[in-house]
Amino acid sequence: MAIQFDSAEQFRTVIDGVMTLMSEDPEMGPKLRDADVPQRFEFDDMDLVVNARAAREGEQGNLYWEWTDEIDWEPKVKLTMSSEVANRYFQGKENVPVAIARRRIKAGGDVKSALALIPITKPVYGLYRSMLEADYPQLVVK
Amino acid sequence: MIDDEPAADRQPQAGEKLAGAEAAERIGVSLSTLRRWVALGLFPKHDLSKGWGPSAIAQARSLVKLRERGYSIEQLQEAIDEGRIVGYTDELVGEIVGERFTLKEAAKASGLKAEAIEELIAAIGLPSGAIDDLGSEDVEMFKHFATAVNSGYPRDALLQTVRVYGQAVSKIADAEVRLVHLHVHEPLLRKGVSSERIAEQMGTITEELLPLFSPVIDHLHRRFLNHFVEQDIVGHMETEPGSEIGQVRVAIAFADLAGYTQLTEEVGDEEAAGIVERFVANVSQSLPDEARILKTIGDEVMIVSSDAASLIDWAVGFQILSNERPLPRIGIHCGNVVFRDGDYFGREVNLAARVAARAAAGEVLVTWPVVEMAGKHLEFERIGEVKLKGFSHATELFLADSAGGK
Repeated sequence: MAIQFDSAEQFRTVIDGVMTLMSEDPEMGPKLRDADVPQRFEFDDMDLVVNARAAREGEQGNLYWEWTDEIDWEPKVKLTMSSEVANRYFQGKENVPVAIARRRIKAGGDVKSALALIPITKPVYGLYRSMLEADYPQLVVK
Repeated sequence: MIDDEPAADRQPQAGEKLAGAEAAERIGVSLSTLRRWVALGLFPKHDLSKGWGPSAIAQARSLVKLRERGYSIEQLQEAIDEGRIVGYTDELVGEIVGERFTLKEAAKASGLKAEAIEELIAAIGLPSGAIDDLGSEDVEMFKHFATAVNSGYPRDALLQTVRVYGQAVSKIADAEVRLVHLHVHEPLLRKGVSSERIAEQMGTITEELLPLFSPVIDHLHRRFLNHFVEQDIVGHMETEPGSEIGQVRVAIAFADLAGYTQLTEEVGDEEAAGIVERFVANVSQSLPDEARILKTIGDEVMIVSSDAASLIDWAVGFQILSNERPLPRIGIHCGNVVFRDGDYFGREVNLAARVAARAAAGEVLVTWPVVEMAGKHLEFERIGEVKLKGFSHATELFLADSAGGK
């Protein structure tokens, strides 16, 4: 049975958590900032959009994100997926090329950059699972 | 070691140092030659006052090899002075001074027949002289092989296993030495750093890094064993009755960069090698769990997977994500192949390679058995029956794409 979030609000809180993990991780954060690939994630079942980019000078952390399309930068990579796929993806349970072929993830923009981000973001899988085990055990994919 | 003569009476133990005459014999030069080399300063980093340790003997052996290749003593002195010959550390050399065994002695001590040891050494791929220079660690290894044989592991399987060990471990050692050379030794030489400083830095690296390598390799070995046992269990469930012994059913993909030869002409070897490195890394990082890179040859990657459906999905997804030139081209076929020495052989492997060779930039070309295994979310455009090089019959080929296109 598919694992579901209780609400869009819960989903947004969890994704805020994973973005914070990536932004503040001493290994991933600086690499993602240096990669400088603005990304737009659309979670179609939740009707939510989050735009993320490298933090600018004066901004805290390595990443900056906003839950809107009203932004002053242009996303380079656009990924559309359901909340369930997003949850699986951040736990390392969703292979990106396979998910794209299966249309579980729809990719647009400079998709090559998405391929380059795969190895950088791999460390988040363990961190995200730890966060879920502590705060949202029902969302852990076995 | 002679049966009725205790080894300790005439053989130095590991860690001990050899006297000049014994060292000269072990190195394969006369004592006077060895003394002359010492006087000429060919061992500046070694304290030989208490005898010859493993690293000094190893260095002397390297000098013998260089002399055999025609280098003069003056050239060797110059290379040592410039830091081009840094020498060994004891950690790097390992067991070179300890107890030595003849083939016959090693056979008796290990419980293996002498012919079996010769066969195993040949399978491992150790240098030809290894049989005449066996140490106690070699004998311990032979004992493990004897245990394997006595517990019923077939001889042919053991030979194949050690052949794979030899190939894999020699590749690791070769890479370790070359990478240290390219990324540490060479830059130091180019900067004009003194030979003392080079020796110090190289010594630190080998002393600090080397002890880490074996536990890392051991750990990775266990991780991969775990993974492949899991794959094997899945394979047992999915093996078609009637498959011949020694054959396994796998999906095979070949992927390379279209127009790579032209690219090397345009951008030069260094930049082209960097592009290939990123391509192979992207493949490796993005493959599904069931698939792995078996080998790479230049810009070509051979991938095997126990799951044809996820491999074809990966290939289609990978092409969607690869929108920069040079574009990859991928060919996939699946069938029964012969597994030998850690590699896959047979008609089906050759067919997969030929299918890939027919693919154009950005394409995933597959055969009918792959289409049969694929999910409904993919679309296949029939190209037609194509006569592939080396095959007498035409092969039906299909162009794979995500439903709804890219």
